[in-house]
Formats: sequence, C-alpha cells, structure tokens
Amino acid sequence: MIDCDIAIVGAGLAGMRAAVTIAEKNSKVSVAIIAKTYPIRCHSVCAEGGSAAVLRKEDSFDLHAWDTVKGSDFLADQDAVEFFVRECPKEILRLENWGCPWSRNPDGTIAQRAFGGHSVNRTVFAADRTGFHEVHTLYERLLKYDNVEFFSEYFLTNLAIEDNRIQGLSAIELKTGNLVFFKAKAVILATGGAGRLYGFTTYSHQVTGDGMAIAYRCGVPLKDMEFMQFHPTGLVPSGILMTEACRGEGGYLRNKFGERFMQKYAPEKMELAPRDVVARAMWKEIIEGRAFEGEHGPYLALDLTHLGEEKIEQRLPMIREAAIKFLDIDPVEEPLPVKPVQHYTMGGIHTNMFTETPVKGLFAAGECACVSIHGANRLGSNSTVECLVFGRVAGEMALKYIENVKDVKINQEFLKEEEKRIFDKIGKGNENPHTIKRELNETMDKHLWIFRNGDGLKEAIRKIEELKERYSQASIADDCRKFNVALLSTLEVGYMLDLAEVVAMGALLRTESRGAHYRLDYPERNDKQWLVHTLAYYTREGPRFEYLPVTITKWKPVERKY
Amino acid sequence: MKFVIRRFKDDKSFWQSFEVPVKKGMTLLDGLFYIRENIDPSLAFRASCRMGICGSCAVKVNGRPRLACETQLSKFKKEIKIEPLDNFRVIRDLVTEFEGFFAKHKKVKPYLIANTDYENPIEQLQTPEELKKYYIFTLCIKCGSCLSVCPSSATLESSLGPAALVSAYRFNADSRDRGKEERLKIVSESFGVWRCHSAMECSEVCPKQIEPAKAIQLLRRETLR
Amino acid sequence: MGVMSWFKYKSPFGLAFAFQRITGIILLFYLILHLCYLTSLQSRELYETLTSITVSRQFIIFDSLLILCGVFHGVNGIRIIIHELGIGHELRRVVLAVSAIIAILGWIIGSYILFMALGD
Repeated sequence: MIDCDIAIVGAGLAGMRAAVTIAEKNSKVSVAIIAKTYPIRCHSVCAEGGSAAVLRKEDSFDLHAWDTVKGSDFLADQDAVEFFVRECPKEILRLENWGCPWSRNPDGTIAQRAFGGHSVNRTVFAADRTGFHEVHTLYERLLKYDNVEFFSEYFLTNLAIEDNRIQGLSAIELKTGNLVFFKAKAVILATGGAGRLYGFTTYSHQVTGDGMAIAYRCGVPLKDMEFMQFHPTGLVPSGILMTEACRGEGGYLRNKFGERFMQKYAPEKMELAPRDVVARAMWKEIIEGRAFEGEHGPYLALDLTHLGEEKIEQRLPMIREAAIKFLDIDPVEEPLPVKPVQHYTMGGIHTNMFTETPVKGLFAAGECACVSIHGANRLGSNSTVECLVFGRVAGEMALKYIENVKDVKINQEFLKEEEKRIFDKIGKGNENPHTIKRELNETMDKHLWIFRNGDGLKEAIRKIEELKERYSQASIADDCRKFNVALLSTLEVGYMLDLAEVVAMGALLRTESRGAHYRLDYPERNDKQWLVHTLAYYTREGPRFEYLPVTITKWKPVERKY
Repeated sequence: MKFVIRRFKDDKSFWQSFEVPVKKGMTLLDGLFYIRENIDPSLAFRASCRMGICGSCAVKVNGRPRLACETQLSKFKKEIKIEPLDNFRVIRDLVTEFEGFFAKHKKVKPYLIANTDYENPIEQLQTPEELKKYYIFTLCIKCGSCLSVCPSSATLESSLGPAALVSAYRFNADSRDRGKEERLKIVSESFGVWRCHSAMECSEVCPKQIEPAKAIQLLRRETLR
Repeated sequence: MGVMSWFKYKSPFGLAFAFQRITGIILLFYLILHLCYLTSLQSRELYETLTSITVSRQFIIFDSLLILCGVFHGVNGIRIIIHELGIGHELRRVVLAVSAIIAILGWIIGSYILFMALGD
C-alpha cells in the first residue's frame, strides 16, 4: 500500500505538467506519478511539429479561437476554447523559462512557423522534435522537487471509487509483478489516446487507451470517441509520422501525375488546410487511382526537394534522419512516400473545462480527456499545448479538491477482488491475445477509416462483438510474475476491445459527416440534430449513449471552407 | 533469419533461438514483436515509439548496443545475437534496471537554474548561435547505450557515466542558466568527469551521434577554470 | 566486472583504450624491473654477464616489443590529450588512424635502428 495525496497516472506532457503545478504551489503535498513506462519514454516525445500560441501583435486570441473552432467543425465547446487560447502563451513561456530549447529568430525571440488550419504563423517549435524537448524539459524540471515521486513501469489496472469519490487505484508493478494499491485523495488521469486500436498508426506501441477504458468501466462516460484524426502524412509502410511542419515549411503533396492535387480540394489553403480535409483529399486521390503504386500499396508523394538541404537540416532534421534510416530515402533529393495515418483521438474521458470528471476527485487531462477544445477535428499543434494548459488546470483543481478531503478510507475488499480478477480470472483460455489484437486492428483500419458507411460500421460492430467473445478465452502464456508482458498484452487487448466498441457504435449512431467523422451515406453536416457531444456510458450489455449540447459563445456554425 | 536471444527467467540465464521470416524494410524491433506475437508471448523487451526518439529499446546486437527500432535486419546475414545491455542489472530477458541510470542523471541537477517567476513567465532571448552551442547535447534520449560500453562505469558503479555528464554540460552551456557553479561542484567530485578515461566508446555507439565524450571533455575544461 | 571490462571494446577506440592500459602496465613493470636491474649492478663481472644475456639477438624481440609499447603509449597519449582539450572530436577516426600510423612507423624505425646497432 502506497500512500500519497495526489496520484497522477501517465507520465507524458499532461501528467508531468500537472505534477509541476502541484509541486510549485505546495511542497507539502505528496505526488505519485504512476506510469506504464519511464517518463521520457512516453508517447508525447513523438510530437514533432510544434505548439500553437499567440505570442505576437499580428495575432490575437480571438483569431486563434476562431481557427480552432472552425477547425473543430463547430463541435468544440467555445468557452473552453476561449479559456484555452488565453493560457497557451504562458505555458510556452514557462517551458522557455525551464530550459526548453525553442527554435529562435535571429534576434533571439521564439520563432513560429505556419501550420494547417491556422491563419497566421503561430506554431512555436523546437526543430521537429517539439514534443521530445517539451517532455524532457518537464521531466528535468520535476527532478527539482522533493515531493514528487515517480513510480515508473507500474501498469494501472483499476480505480477505487466509492460513493462517487475517488480513493485510490491499483497497479501492477512490472518489475516484481505484484499488485500495488495506491491510496490517494485525488487522481489525475493523463494516460493518452487510444491510437493502437488501429494497425496503421503513428502511435507508440504502448498507447492502448488503458486509462480511458478503465475510467469507462468505472462508470465515467467517454465523450466523442467516434472522432479519430487521420494525419495526412504517415510514412509508408511503417506509419512513422512525417510532421505537418513539412508542409508548414513549404512542402508539397503530389499525386502520380505530379499535380499538387490540393488545388482541387482547398484552393486557398492548399496543403495547409486542416488535417481532416487533407486526409480526405488524399484518400480520394488514392481511391480514384491517382496515387503511386508501391509494394506496400498505394501512396502519394510528400515533396520537400525544393526546400533545399540547409532548410531541411535546420527545420526538419528528424524527418530527414527517419526517412534515411527507415526507407533509405533522402528527402533533400527525393519525395517521400506517404499516405493518411491514424494520429489522434479527439474524444476521451468526459470532463468539463476544469478537467473534472463526474467522479469527485478524479480529473483527466491531455489526450485521454475530452474537454472538448478539438471537437470533431483537432488543429495541428493544438494538442501539445492542450496537455500543458489542461495539465496545469488539473493540477490546480486537484490541489483545491484535496484541501477539503481529510482522509480516504481503504476498502480491503477492492484490493482482494482486483487481485483475484487479474491473477485468477483473466487468461485461462487458449486464444492468442495478439491474434485478437491483429484482427481488431484490421477491422478498424477497414471500417473505421477516413470514409465510413453504415454497413461497414455494422460489420465492424459484429466483428468486435465476436472478438470480445473470443477474448474471454484469451491466454496468458507465462507463469513468471516478473515483467510479465503476456499478462500486460492480454489486459491491454481487453481495454482496446471496450474502446473499439464505443468508437464503432458512436460512429454508427452519428448519422452525419462532421470533421474527421465522414459518412459516405450521410455526407452532409447536420447541425439541427447533431451539434451535440456523444457520451457513452458503460453497461454490461455494451455502451449506452446520451447526448450533450455543444457550448456556443461567439461563433455560430457556418459552412467550413478552406 | 535466426534470432539468438539471451534470456533471463527466474534468475537463470540461457540462450534461445527463434526463426523469424524477414521482409524488406523490417527492423529488429519488428522481429522481436514477431516472436512475442507468434512464438513466445513471454519474451520481455521494452519498446515504445519505434522511431528512435523514446530510447526504450536499446539492446546489444552482435555485441554492440543499438536501438532495436532503428536496426534494419537487412544489414545482417543469417544470424543475429541479441543480449541485454552491459553494465545494467537484468530484470528479465532484454529488460534491464534503469533506476540507477536515472538517479545518476538526477544527481547533476539537469534543469535550468535561473531567476524566473512561475506565475509571470517572461520571454528570455537566446540567439540561434547561443542555441547552437548546446543544442546537440539536448538530443540525448537516455537509452543507456553509452553507459553500457563505458569502461569507467563498468569498473566503478557510482561513476556518473556519459549520459549524466552530457546533461550537465548541456545546461552549463545554456546562455539562460545561472547554476554553473553548483553543477561543476558535483561533476568534479571523484565519481564525475575525472573518472572518464577517454575510451570514447560512448561517442561511437551513441544512436543520436551527440558525442558524449566531447561533452565530458568540455565540462572538464570548465572545472579547471 | 572490473578489469575485464577494459577488453569488452566495441570499436577501434575501445581497442586503443585497452592497449593503452596494457602497454601502461607493461611499461610500469619494465621500469620497475629496469631499476632493479640497474641497482643490482654492483661489479663489472656482474654487468658483463647480465649484458651478455640481455643484449643479444634472442632478446631483440623483447626490445622491439618494448619500443612498440613505448611508442604506442606515447602517441596514443598525445591523441587523448588532444581530445581531452576538447579538440577534434568530430575527426576522431582520422586522428586515431594517423596516430596508429605514426606509432607503427615509430616502431618500425626504432626496431630497425636497434637491429642495425646490434648487427655491428
């Protein structure tokens, strides 16, 4: 049993930012950061392009908010967006003050670059390793404080909730394989997205949406899960992200005739239209046979050759390195083979704009949460800064919350039951969980991709039900408790199946096309019926759906054109 | 291709071979995942980003530390030998204990020491030239490759090792930092920069080519000023 | 792991490091032996008997190896000093190759002179 005041699950940008706030404001509160990996191995390090913030006079908060709302296809909660854009610049400067090596203008000020869907150059960046530097800066900053303790390689299994109040959580310590209980007055979930539901994805291997699924099983609703972002430029065949900054710096997308096909789809913004628009355009080119044919299927060309070696080396060094290492192609000389790739989970744990979930003392921030500032489609470079802004908010809210919590009672039953569930109940069959995962990935890649339709979605739901049935017979082919990866993968697949079900059913119910969710059988946006958030509640029989109106303050929905 | 993997289970160590079908463009990490998914689900190894930025998957491949995700299998002939990193205690199979490594990193105060206000952050100026002085040393992904080949770290466990010293230099060379003296005091102790015997293996194996050996020597020069 | 870890080299640099250590130990050992040898020379007869053993064709191979140790240790030492001044890290492969060539040349020339001197 480990006792702490605030437990933070997930050591990515949002989790660590929350921890910094708490440590900075109160050095007596004990904080435990519990994460599946070591802090700097989190998926946030893979963020490449940058973080949006209004820093200069040419820009304004209203413009940033408008870009975000328009990008979200009007599904974002506008009060949250307005709050968010005002907090962004401070977060960027704080990171600067803590040592983040932002790229600079010749006069020493922080440089900004163009990004898709933003009207001005607003994206602050550190070469093309923005997430990497942000994570390292935060992690290193955290080493300064004595009241923050890292519990690295602890795998969250369940949340202890009684009378709608959080009491703690249980986690497997991977090194020993033991189940450990953390007693906590408040818990912040910052466990990231659910990208590994898909096979062709930019995500790290461990991003299986555990936090979302666990919260969901504990009765916290998931919001807007049907909205999955597809990034236009994933390297073929691995799916490694080629940052949007490639296009922000002036790169072109070309089809096999050498045409900059974005002319047809977004004549004004061209390659720098929001991601859903570009991804759809690319997929259309592929379907209509204007893509290159390679041994790994069709692809389009990301052309950076006209940028010159100096600019690529200075602004996009990691892209170049990755392309050379993984494909043996130097972007200075040759265009890169790319196609749209699953990239972000807009939905997540339902929270209000103060990161509070319906459970008292449980907060969620970062990609695993859905405050809803991204709505139906996130703008590039809004996510890293979302983690920072709402990580901070979550930290402050948790601090405020524990002031009035004297002590939490520990329920011994919870621990006993959890022990039984993990070690005695799961994995007694003979079905390979990896096979289930692979089939799930294939289903998602096929039916829940950029273009969706009713029949495909029904088929996907049927398949997921079948996989769930088979999952009850999953095996864990390892009897040694130490670093039991077989147990881990089996648990993860279980979480993923729950999430996949929510995604697929949510997508089937939403009979319109909005942002990243595009239905071929309902190609129009329907504001009358569907200007609402989807909420999915867990029941034994599968998700139960409710809907919540979108908050609109300044901007009425209009047609979205780029 | 034959994967010969050094495994550790229940405090016993043994070699085990696996046959892995190799396709063009496949990396070592793909191969390890193939084994876990199709042959032996208990094969323990760390992996995360699969694009060489998280630093999880450093293992010893044919005697030399490499990031599994960046290692193309086409580089090897018929057989490939995979072991956990040296100078780290093995937990299981290819997974090693990193707590000590991160503790060393923490020791050198690897954060910016400056008079800034949390509530009211300001934009400090730094020219691209000043940035360039330390930027390469910020690229350390803490994969542990350097420490695993460092002969000084092998002979004396408490020696800080290349990664931690790189961090110390990175902050000392940052124009915004005011904590130089504190850090120099730490690194000039007996387990610090003077433990380095310039074997320069760290620079050779570093997957990010950040020249830890150079950082250590520059740091050493600073301690003498 | 201790001393054995010196020999787990991964690159020519590690090899150079291992050689530096071994040659250092050999030179130290030789120095001690040499001093013992000199201090024990109390009479002319003793001197002549000992030199007749050590200054000979059979012994020349050891002298030659000693030159190798000395030259390598010196040249490699200079190489390390250069790098320890923070210079030339980017060119370290070239520097290593050049110092290896200098060491080998020095060894050959030294051995040749030695051989010629003894040949007379």
